[in-house]
Amino acid sequence: MIAIGLDIGSTTTKIAVMEERKLLYTEIVPTGYNVEKTWKELFAATRERLNLEMEMIGGIVSTGYGRNSVDIATRRVTEIMCHAAGIRYSLPGTRSIIDIGGQDSKFIQLGETGEVTDFKMNDKCAAGTGRFLEVMARALESNLEDFGKLSLVAEKAARISSMCTVFAESEVISLIAKGEARENIIAGIHDSIANRMVSMMGRSGVVTPVAMTGGVARNEGIRSALEKKLGISIEVPATAQVNGAVGAASLAS
Amino acid sequence: MKTFAYFDSGHEFPEEIVMAAGFDPCKILGDVEIGTGPADEYLHNYFCPFARACFTEALSRAGEWAGIGFAHGCDATNRHYDVWRAHIDKPFFWVNTPMKIDATARKFHLRELENFRAGLEREYGIEISDEKLAEAIRLSNRIKNGLKRLAALRAEHDINNLEYLELMNRALTGPRQELPEELERKLDEWQQRPPFPRALEAVLLTGSDVTSPEWMEALEEAGLRVVRDDLSLGERYFRAAIPEDIPPLKALVEYYGAYPQPATRVPSDRRLQYLETAAWENDIRLVISQNLKFCEPYAIDAVWTTGVLKNKGLKIIHLEREYTPTLDQQVITRLETFKEMALQ
Ligand code: SF4
Repeated sequence: MIAIGLDIGSTTTKIAVMEERKLLYTEIVPTGYNVEKTWKELFAATRERLNLEMEMIGGIVSTGYGRNSVDIATRRVTEIMCHAAGIRYSLPGTRSIIDIGGQDSKFIQLGETGEVTDFKMNDKCAAGTGRFLEVMARALESNLEDFGKLSLVAEKAARISSMCTVFAESEVISLIAKGEARENIIAGIHDSIANRMVSMMGRSGVVTPVAMTGGVARNEGIRSALEKKLGISIEVPATAQVNGAVGAASLAS
Repeated sequence: MKTFAYFDSGHEFPEEIVMAAGFDPCKILGDVEIGTGPADEYLHNYFCPFARACFTEALSRAGEWAGIGFAHGCDATNRHYDVWRAHIDKPFFWVNTPMKIDATARKFHLRELENFRAGLEREYGIEISDEKLAEAIRLSNRIKNGLKRLAALRAEHDINNLEYLELMNRALTGPRQELPEELERKLDEWQQRPPFPRALEAVLLTGSDVTSPEWMEALEEAGLRVVRDDLSLGERYFRAAIPEDIPPLKALVEYYGAYPQPATRVPSDRRLQYLETAAWENDIRLVISQNLKFCEPYAIDAVWTTGVLKNKGLKIIHLEREYTPTLDQQVITRLETFKEMALQ
């Protein structure tokens, strides 16, 4: 039977399709204003692409902030449980997950059998999230995709002390005005996100192995800043950005 | 009967003295649906939104009240007393309450209660006799007993979170004389309710007082049913009875040493003991601890409380909440995840 996971996040909507717990297909589209229209179109396009008749689909699990809009879901599960399930699928044995998405960041602790034992989420604030990076990329007139590589060649990370996105943006503008190298500023931005994440995690709660998921996991600069601060290495699964949808599909299997 | 309103961050205000003076006590609870603009004009940013909402209510409703009482609880009560007096033209009364329980504190508390009685007598030209006080205490105990029996039904029958909040609202803000009969009627009704729904998880709720219906509903929607609590708008108000066999003011002093302690009182051991016993009595595994944004007593207390309860094997989540009727999706996700974790 086919199992489908739909993860409707604030920035992107993801779909994952599994057959007998084998991952067949994933896709990401921007969520946009009309959540319902977005997932319906994505679902229809996926069915068409994979030639899926409705009778072939055994289960649909929806997750993410828009999970309740999916009326065809056989189950609705929170993104924390789905992220945990996704990591159990792609990197079994993981004990801690750092997930940085478009508008929130999470730290999930897993027990020996992969069950969720605790979790922390950022408060209603863009600091330390993908949105924070987007704002900074705009201030630096840079492409977000280049952030990771650029930060790795920085001589030293510039100091950005404000946690607030708005104030941090004006700090970045001051640093540009002072002539600070772009790479150093980007490294400073990554450090600032890593600091925020580490304080949310509380050092005592970090049990290895640690994995990182969410769109921001593709940014090697942030991963490296986190690794330095925590003194550990962090795994990033190939399905990092669609981890929630993969988890949802695995729960639907 | 004329209403006498009071602002109390916990359950420190001696309603029985007000009842013996011939007034109906009414706890000021604010309204989450009404903006706090009027109060904001006079208050600095660091006051919690609940206290702002209470002041907003007082600014618009003080004309209906005979007077306004304050009991010393959290720091908001102290400073608000001065601000309210400057902007509302009503007789004001301040009742100091001790933050700890020992012989000196009891002596001090007794003096404060005597002063409050004398203050009311002077202001309204009345006499508050020991007999009237004893009568008020008997009525208060009947109310507490009715509430206690009703609250116990939460664990057995289908009584939703909002109904419990509404019951407490009624008990603390409405006329008291007819309340015991009202509670008896409700008891008959609640006893006929279907059993506790199997799809819901029983939880113990602690932290800042919850006055927002939306928050109680959100817990319910996340599949979490409050069957025990230690809130002032809850068990703290009715769990203990006021002794009836000693002089009335001494009885009130004894009562305030025996009720479920709030986070403003020290040491915290008694508070923790209450929570642990409540969880154990009802076989509850899940605890929701929360504080309203800028509510220092419970934000600070939560670090210690959640740690200790976790070590006792209870599953506990701590949330900071906004004073708003519109809950954000993140809070709901946290609550739902908490339930899913329990069911793993
Ligand atoms: S919510 Fe907290 S800070 Fe505000 S009045 Fe109540 S106890 Fe005091």
